[in-house]
Amino acid sequence: MCVRPPLERYVQMLTGSRHAGFALIAAVAIIACGLRMAPVSAATAVVKIGVELPLSGADASQGTPMLDGVLLAAAQANAKAPKGLTFKVTALDEAVGGVHNPQQGATNVKSFSADTGVLGILGPLASNVAAAEIPIVNAAGIALISGSATNPDLTKTQKLRTTHPNDIDFFRVCATDDLQGAVGAQFAKEQGYKKVYVIDDNETYGKGLADVFAASFAKLGGDVLGHDHVTPNQQDFRALLTKVAATNPDAVFFGGVTATGGLLIRQQMSSAGLDPAKVAYLGGDGFQDPAYPQQAGAAGNNTYYTAATPNLAALPAARKFVADYKKRFGNEPSAYSANYYVAAQVLINAIEKSMKAYGGKVPTRALVLKELRETKNFPSILGTFSFDRNGDTTNPLFSIFAIKNQKEVWIKQIIAKRK
Amino acid sequence: MQLFLQQVINGLSLGGIYALIALGYTMVYGIIELINFAHGDVYTLGSFIALAIITLFGVSGVLSGWALVGVIAVTLIGSMVLCGLVGVIIERLAYRRLRNAPRLAPLITAIGVSFVLENIMQLWKGPSPILFPSVIPNATWRVGGVMIQSNELLVIFTAVGMMGFLQIIIYNTKLGKAMRATAQDRDAAQLMGININTTIALTFFIGSALAGAGGFVSGVYYGSTWFFNGFSAGLKAFTAAVLGGIGNFTGAMLGGFLIGLIESLTAGFISDQWANVAVFVVLVLVLVFRPSGLLGEVLPDKV
Repeated sequence: MCVRPPLERYVQMLTGSRHAGFALIAAVAIIACGLRMAPVSAATAVVKIGVELPLSGADASQGTPMLDGVLLAAAQANAKAPKGLTFKVTALDEAVGGVHNPQQGATNVKSFSADTGVLGILGPLASNVAAAEIPIVNAAGIALISGSATNPDLTKTQKLRTTHPNDIDFFRVCATDDLQGAVGAQFAKEQGYKKVYVIDDNETYGKGLADVFAASFAKLGGDVLGHDHVTPNQQDFRALLTKVAATNPDAVFFGGVTATGGLLIRQQMSSAGLDPAKVAYLGGDGFQDPAYPQQAGAAGNNTYYTAATPNLAALPAARKFVADYKKRFGNEPSAYSANYYVAAQVLINAIEKSMKAYGGKVPTRALVLKELRETKNFPSILGTFSFDRNGDTTNPLFSIFAIKNQKEVWIKQIIAKRK
Repeated sequence: MQLFLQQVINGLSLGGIYALIALGYTMVYGIIELINFAHGDVYTLGSFIALAIITLFGVSGVLSGWALVGVIAVTLIGSMVLCGLVGVIIERLAYRRLRNAPRLAPLITAIGVSFVLENIMQLWKGPSPILFPSVIPNATWRVGGVMIQSNELLVIFTAVGMMGFLQIIIYNTKLGKAMRATAQDRDAAQLMGININTTIALTFFIGSALAGAGGFVSGVYYGSTWFFNGFSAGLKAFTAAVLGGIGNFTGAMLGGFLIGLIESLTAGFISDQWANVAVFVVLVLVLVFRPSGLLGEVLPDKV
């Protein structure tokens, strides 16, 4: 609750040591020339890629591996890029008090838009921040690509495209929650659960996910015993769980994150007469929190959840990425590092392609956007994908994870069926 | 019927926790007419302290026999005494100097103290809910198909026991007499030779100790604790105190149990999301017809 002044950590990194000296000279040249006018000959080109993620406080544990994914993609592109072309990653922190913040995100995107050297932005982490940023990139005409904001409404409606409703400026390489709920329902059926009680936290993400799960599970012939919503900061779930226990469910689905009830509900089940060993607990990527298996104890076992990320260990194509990442940063990539690695690759690819079409000169943002919208069958470690007319990936990849012996275990990977 | 009784037991246990917190609200309000918004956080602090004491003993599993009695007694008394001291410190630092200031001023410092406590606890144990070891054996009795658990009995008996203890202090001791006198008329009490500062400090000690006891039993009851629990629990307990008639001990107890019951029955038979609505609808209705709460007396305006 302490209100810190907006911590604006300006992270600026030159990628690719081979070109560092050159990039520095180029940067000095740009500063010397003042406002640079496009087109500039590629012989001195430095292309900036903006990164907009939470990089301080509690959220930094998620944001930093994402940024590292981008840095790796940029460094690899620089190693291959024609002489004189350098991709430079410029990152702004969107966290205020350690938590992703829509206002700060909007401010960051505005400053990227004002910097003519930035040809595209990668981020943000969360859907509510994306909702604040999409109107800005839509007005400015600059590309924004996220690897983690999963709310379907961000792209499916024109609501956020306030200036140019028909222009797609926001893209994402991750699958959306409407597909996630359906994947969860499919998995619940495969597990042989017939009767499921659905609970959600009444927030945008949680309720959206739970609604889709309940509808899809019913469509698959499952029995949804009931659907309840809990309130913020609720501590006592016994009354609700006593009611749930009376319906004898095979599983309980919770739409939400561990902090909005996901953890406490599981902890309190046994005292309300629901045996965690017999009654499975299902959820979405809101359960993917290292604190969950740790704090839920033995009750955390028999939990299954979906996440819009690949399992890097199971993807042969990702092996090189994992090795390169470890070599460069000294630690394992997170599942979202891969998403942002691919997001950066898509952007870099679009920039390089539009450059070629523009006669080798640094392209305009509009040209980059045009290339991005036309992205077709792009090969990546997440699989080959295109962007659909809303800017969403055509290859919605999900993993199913379980908690077994108080540890996260990967179960399988599913490509969701798109509607 | 069986389900109904089960929900009544859930409600009584929840109500017991609210009652323990509500007693502290009512005592402090009764004596200096301050709504001590930091009180809910003292309750959470009680569970954190209890957890620290249990960890200090190296207890991680279920105990039995004298070890069980010993650990419960030491933990309960330890968290009560430490929370009581925290209460006294809060009063000394944040409220005493403002005792004659406009009433808004101590209210604001109370909110400030609440933030301070929350942040201290967040720094101490981190932002996620933390596991509270189940020290008491998880025995379950079945009475006519209704499940009664040992941790529910712990909460209810602690609440009722503390209430009895408090009654004895208030009505049968010199300190109680001094507290009642101070509550009635601070200046007159002072003229009669009562040390006002000590009396108020002791009121804070007892009220915060009760919250500490509440914190310990809630930790055992839920098997977890979280730095932010005090916010909503404090709000409900405050509502309980108002519902019962703020300043009235029996009223706080009654209000606590009533709110627990309303919450559980609404969550059990209507929907969980309506539980809070039901609580506050009942509060509004009671205040419309009995503005001073269920057991509150209409007192002539002081000052």
